[in-house]
Amino acid sequence: MSDFAIETKKLRIYYGENEIIKGIDLKVPKNVVFALMGPSGCGKSTLLRAFNRLLELNKEARVEGEVLILGKNVYGNGVNPIDVRKQVGMVFQYPNPFPHLSIYDNVAIGLKLNHLVKSKEELDERVKWALEKAFLWDEVKGRLDDYPASLSGGQKQRLVIARALALKPKILLMDEPTANVDPIGTRKIEELLFELKREYTIVLVTHEPMQAARVSDYVGFLYLGKLVEVGLTREIFEKPKHELTEKYVTGVLV
Amino acid sequence: MSVLQKIKRIDGFKIITSPAVMFVFLLFAWMLIVYFYNALPAFVREGLATYFKNVWQATEEASKEHYGLLAAIWGTVYTSIIAILVALPLSIAYSVFVIDYAPKKIKNALIVLSDVMAGLPTIIYGIWGVFVLVPLLQKYVMFPLHKHLSFIPIFSSPPITGYSYFSAGILLGIMVTPFASAIMREAYQMIPFTYREAAIASGMTRYEATKTLLGYIKPAIFSGMILAFGRAVGETVAVSLVIGNTFNLSIGLFSPGYTISSLIANQFGNAFIYEHMLPALYAAGLALFIIGLAVNIAGLYLFRKWEKNVRI
Ligand SMILES: Nc1ncnc2c1ncn2[C@@H]1O[C@H](COP(=O)(O)OP(=O)(O)OP(=O)(O)O)[C@@H](O)[C@H]1O
Ligand SMILES: [Mg+2]
Repeated sequence: MSDFAIETKKLRIYYGENEIIKGIDLKVPKNVVFALMGPSGCGKSTLLRAFNRLLELNKEARVEGEVLILGKNVYGNGVNPIDVRKQVGMVFQYPNPFPHLSIYDNVAIGLKLNHLVKSKEELDERVKWALEKAFLWDEVKGRLDDYPASLSGGQKQRLVIARALALKPKILLMDEPTANVDPIGTRKIEELLFELKREYTIVLVTHEPMQAARVSDYVGFLYLGKLVEVGLTREIFEKPKHELTEKYVTGVLV
Repeated sequence: MSVLQKIKRIDGFKIITSPAVMFVFLLFAWMLIVYFYNALPAFVREGLATYFKNVWQATEEASKEHYGLLAAIWGTVYTSIIAILVALPLSIAYSVFVIDYAPKKIKNALIVLSDVMAGLPTIIYGIWGVFVLVPLLQKYVMFPLHKHLSFIPIFSSPPITGYSYFSAGILLGIMVTPFASAIMREAYQMIPFTYREAAIASGMTRYEATKTLLGYIKPAIFSGMILAFGRAVGETVAVSLVIGNTFNLSIGLFSPGYTISSLIANQFGNAFIYEHMLPALYAAGLALFIIGLAVNIAGLYLFRKWEKNVRI
């Protein structure tokens, strides 16, 4: 088994004729928060969606190169993307719990469909477990049958995190999880990241360098589809090697 | 406040639209009153039997005339229920196919096609029903079902002519599918992409994701079904060609029957010959109003209830 949670080799991504990701070799160690930062439109979301083969939803998108998840190329022959997605959970820029499913069912649906639990008791237990992991249980335990509309933005996002955790993935991909969440909700989610990285590898996309500095162990700076610089967060923020990185972390480049 | 300010405060659209709304409302009330007024003699003469008895005695001796609409009311409800049971899977399948699976080139062609189908004169469906659909159904569906499953009450009546509740219901189901699917298609297309991503990212198959997303547009599916039901209830020409026009009160799918609309269309020409028939036909019309109103109110009520729970 590989030492890295995620490894990409000569990864290129196209939308039609446009090359969006221009040859990226990236290594994400296990059990860290790895922040991917960069200005709007540089390809962060696109890159992230290559890791769980979610790009396949877009007929225009084409992937070249390799993405190794825990040592296995997910674009290799005979790989079932559904197995990949059970290992790699995802949280989105816009909090998107299913509005027509109860809080309980939002967490339970993936478990039910994938037959990951054997009994109602086990399902109840796993739902509780996932909600606890996402620091949400205490706030919703009395109203599991309510709909997500009754939750705040931050709570919705933690519900989405619980939905992802329920499948017991190894890796969590988070695409600007706090972009649509108020400051208090943002702090809670950031605290949650510290807890989660003990057991999971987290790739966090952000366009705020400050957030990357606060929560990540490693950071990669993406600019116009190229990985300009990668390294320990502290080092990158203290003495960036690349001029572009320096401009970005000091807020000159937006 | 100056006059100018006052004038500015008057909302132009409100001025134009209010009378139009009033007009529509008055028209509706007026029609309802006309129907009720003209049906009154029937209610006075027959009482509740007008709606709850199956009898149709048209004779020249006025005192022996009796009209009770139960068979037609039953036929209307029965065929319309069959119709939405047919239209539900068809319209969902059509919507999902057009949006998710159809190649770009034929997508628009399919949408135009279903709009054309919706607009076709109903006599076209009726004639196709008589010459194509009914014989096919009779031979390949009704006879086999009756032969092997006649111990089940709904299959117990023999499909002698093929003209039946079943034929009418199936034909209606086909006719209302384009209307139902137009609503569902719009709603399905409007589902934010992020929910599809969420479904797929949670390890769902394409089929499971689609099923989950259909849950999201349940209200639209529901509205589509109500619209379909309303159209099925009101459809006249095509139905009267394939239902058999018999005062029958049967649970047997393959029995001939009547619907309110087909009854009115068939009997209206003779109504003036008899002393008491016309009020009965007005009462039939009133029953259509009531069914339409009841279905829509029930739909609205359920929709509200849903909306209260799931604000998106
Ligand atoms: N579905 C698509 N089809 C074609 N081009 C796309 C598509 N989605 C994104 N792009 C393009 O790909 C580039 C990268 O987009 P991406 O969403 O990955 O950027 P991002 O770094 O996540 O930006 P943001 O911070 O705004 O979310 C952009 O130039 C965008 O216009
Ligand atoms: Mg993005």
